[in-house]
Amino acid sequence: MNYLSEMLRLPVIDAAGEKLGVVNDLGIATGEVFPHVTSLAFQGPGKTPFMISWRKYVDHLDDTGVYLKAVSTDVRFSYLQPDEVLLARDILNKQIVDTQGMKVVRVNDIKLSATGAGQLRLLGAEVGARGLLRAIHPAFERTVMRLAKLTGRPLKEEIIAWSYMDLLERSTQTIKLSVSHKTLDELHPADIADIIEQLDPRLRGQVFAQLDTAQAAEAISELDDDELVAEMLEGMSDRDASSMLALMDPDDAAALIEELDYEKAEKLLRLMGVKEERAIRTLLGYAEDTAGRIMTQEFVALPATATVGDAIDAIRRLDEDFESVYYVYTLDPVGALTGVLSLRTLIVADRDARLSELSYRDVVWVAPDLDQEEVADEMTKYNLVAIPVCDEARHVLGIVTVDDALDVLAEEHEEDLQIAGMGSGESGAAGESMHALSWFAQRSYWVLVWAIASGVIAAVLTWMGVDGSSWFIYPMGVMPVVLITASRMTSFVRGFYLEYDEREDEGKPYLAFFLRCAGVGAVLALVVYLCGQLVLGAAFPEGSLEPVFVGGAWDVTAQTTAQVLTACFGAAAAVVFVCFLGAVGYLKLLFWRDEHDRNTSGIALNVSAVLIACVLYAVAATLGVFLVVA
Amino acid sequence: MARGTGERLTLAAVLGAMGPGLLAALAGNDAGGIATYSSAGATYGYGTLWILPIMALLLIVVQETAARCGCVTGKGFASLIREKFGVRKSALAMAALLIANTAVTISEFAGLASGLALFGVPKTISVPLVALVIWLVSMSGSFRRIEKILLLVSCVFLTYVVAAFLVGPDWGAVAAATVTPRMVASPGYVSLLVATIGTTIAPWMIFLAQNNVVDKNVDESGIPLQRVDTVSGSIIACAIAWFIIVTTGSVLYPAGIEVSDAADAALALEPIVGPWSTVLFAAGLVAASFLAACVLPGVTSSAICEAFGWERGADRSWDEAPVYRGIITAVIMVSALLVILPGVDLFEIMMSAQVINGVLLPVLLVFLVFIASDRLIMGQYRNGRVWNVLTWATIVLITVLTVVMFVLQLLGF
Repeated sequence: MNYLSEMLRLPVIDAAGEKLGVVNDLGIATGEVFPHVTSLAFQGPGKTPFMISWRKYVDHLDDTGVYLKAVSTDVRFSYLQPDEVLLARDILNKQIVDTQGMKVVRVNDIKLSATGAGQLRLLGAEVGARGLLRAIHPAFERTVMRLAKLTGRPLKEEIIAWSYMDLLERSTQTIKLSVSHKTLDELHPADIADIIEQLDPRLRGQVFAQLDTAQAAEAISELDDDELVAEMLEGMSDRDASSMLALMDPDDAAALIEELDYEKAEKLLRLMGVKEERAIRTLLGYAEDTAGRIMTQEFVALPATATVGDAIDAIRRLDEDFESVYYVYTLDPVGALTGVLSLRTLIVADRDARLSELSYRDVVWVAPDLDQEEVADEMTKYNLVAIPVCDEARHVLGIVTVDDALDVLAEEHEEDLQIAGMGSGESGAAGESMHALSWFAQRSYWVLVWAIASGVIAAVLTWMGVDGSSWFIYPMGVMPVVLITASRMTSFVRGFYLEYDEREDEGKPYLAFFLRCAGVGAVLALVVYLCGQLVLGAAFPEGSLEPVFVGGAWDVTAQTTAQVLTACFGAAAAVVFVCFLGAVGYLKLLFWRDEHDRNTSGIALNVSAVLIACVLYAVAATLGVFLVVA
Repeated sequence: MARGTGERLTLAAVLGAMGPGLLAALAGNDAGGIATYSSAGATYGYGTLWILPIMALLLIVVQETAARCGCVTGKGFASLIREKFGVRKSALAMAALLIANTAVTISEFAGLASGLALFGVPKTISVPLVALVIWLVSMSGSFRRIEKILLLVSCVFLTYVVAAFLVGPDWGAVAAATVTPRMVASPGYVSLLVATIGTTIAPWMIFLAQNNVVDKNVDESGIPLQRVDTVSGSIIACAIAWFIIVTTGSVLYPAGIEVSDAADAALALEPIVGPWSTVLFAAGLVAASFLAACVLPGVTSSAICEAFGWERGADRSWDEAPVYRGIITAVIMVSALLVILPGVDLFEIMMSAQVINGVLLPVLLVFLVFIASDRLIMGQYRNGRVWNVLTWATIVLITVLTVVMFVLQLLGF
């Protein structure tokens, strides 16, 4: 009797041996790590539900039933207590959050353990395949278990302990859960965000509503999906949303507000305190993707004449939710940045020492309109955890901290990977060692294009009335060259794009790139054409191209074939050349999309190039064949 | 989002809400639907028209119930089945869904194969290629990008409406046939009725209707708009079916043409587009089948994984969601293999898939009606008496027809 699924429907038998009904549900007290079963719910005759105290009345239980200590007339019925949870009603078959594995799972069965004198404790929820099989039929579970053992991969139980469960349903949310219970809101905001992403929209809203405003603020800024963020903000009342945004770091808040439509954003901003509103508006005033957008105004700066003691006192007085302090900046009397000290320098130094004596004067700073990626590069180069953002007069506007810089780098890396055609799945597998599926989709899909295009060419040729449908094999035979060249052309373009270091004052190198591509294209086209000549020379040696007089007519098949082949190779060479002439267009597209901050998928680029080349070639080759044969 | 107080049924809101239902209605006229309706018209003339008004009503009942469950609970149908009925019964429901949907997917592949065959592509080439494309599309979950284009192409079946008018049938006879029920005691006729029901109220539509609502997180206040959507969608779906039967019944039935393949079915469009009828019909058939074949494996797998608590979604990798991806792959492979087998009658497959759909529909309807009338789950929005009676009537009707069909077949009519 270890599982709830086995206990349900067992008969309940009183001391006199009379059957009172069948087990319907078990209630547990939630205040323990392994909670005791405290009540027994059973269904009497006529489907009447009863509930009695387990501790008081249950004597023992076995495979044949639950045996009570008292006779039916002595049993007093009870009610569900506020701290009790019903296992079958509230947990079995429901979705719960596994707060240890950070997953949303469905409870397939519940494991109990007998602890002497007929008492039962809840061990945890079974969420694995075994629970499912057992619930269908215990014999089924045993058979599959045996089979699994034979294949050397025994099925393990997947149990989630009560202390790592969080219930999601609204019927149970009102129940006050135990102290030992690790609930969703104790998790790290990044983990909460992960779990929220796994839920249905409705539950998402409910779970989110459980969090307090500060947690909600942190969790929402950890969500990866911009659409989801906008959806969550839309779902909240304006007042809640506004106070949540006010609690966030202004740079995170600015990033979120950007996702909203103008009206909603204005409404939320106006509901905030003046200070927060001004901070966010200032940030929003800077262009997207610049240092100004991600900087925080929460930093410590003191006059250079102040002492170390002043600085330490200043840090002590800061609010609890102040941005982490990595450096203290020193300012001259007009407020311009003169130096920087690390916390370590401060702690080690004498309290009376002047900051100006200790500070490092050659401060690295950036302008607010500098691109975020370059800010991150500067920080990497000088090994900084925070970098000041200053205007022309070296007045500090804010600082960019390492966490935001890391986000920028991660985003940039993902974009590059995507352009390189790697996709950006969570699996994070870089390189070629991926699933056969993605490998096929990215590298070898051209075989499919080839097959389909060949079919189309065949169909079109037949439709155009070209005698003998076998002519399509010649265009088909040459086509792979075109497809592969087009595919490699895009990788040439994106290689160039990824390597290209943007310099401020120079224009984009379109002309140089165009000339280079034209050169490569011309060489490739020439090689293709020469290969064609090679094939022709080998297949039709000198003299074999003369018309042969067979059976009363001139047979010109060999001649026509040679001409068709020439046409196909000619078309291929031309298309290869045209493809490379068009390469600069792709480069332009990449730069344009980057400027407009849109992600570009390398696969899409590749596919479009291959398809365009395929269409061009198919049209050219089909026309060629048609003209020659007809 | 629709929220509580100030909401009124303005014209704009109503028109806006009609979108998804219309799309679903057009998508619902897939390969199996076209085959069934054409066959019904060609074989029995106007003899099956009377079932369509009834179907429209029942379709409204079923779709409205599903959408309402979604609005109230915010959960998918599979979740609700699992949470109310436990593992064993959800295994039954999911098995029914899996079989029905695999059957429909097979019929979509048959539709694709016969549509492409009209263009001169043999099925040994078309089916593996198309299967590969469908597999890639449903694995990457990117069918939404091509959805609109395919829907547009499958709109060519609207030409049946024009065709019906051009043919100029005896409208009096048509109207009379629409309102007078008629039974023919032959297994062919009864199984056609079951197939018509199965293709009009397909099990997968229940899941899709509810998922749409859940994904948009519509709450109780959105129910009126959902009703507008389901009613308009259902009526249009049945109207198109009605026009198909009228057209085929006026063109093919008097000519004595039994529809035995797609080329025959295309003949019904001859009066309106002449020699282009084959091309038009084939394009529509291919687009509609392709769309449904991309959607169905995903819907099936998603529902099963939802019921059993496995990870699902196109953004999960093979490692994270092996079952989800496995089911999609298996459904597509089985369908493609079955259709490729030499000597199978493609048109026959399209029809029998709809019969399977019809036979299994009551299983899922029983779950739906129990959930929708549960006070704990649905609260004040639970089914009213009329709705319960109508759903049970559907269940009984199909069950009786199924039994009759099998008995007639056993008796060897």
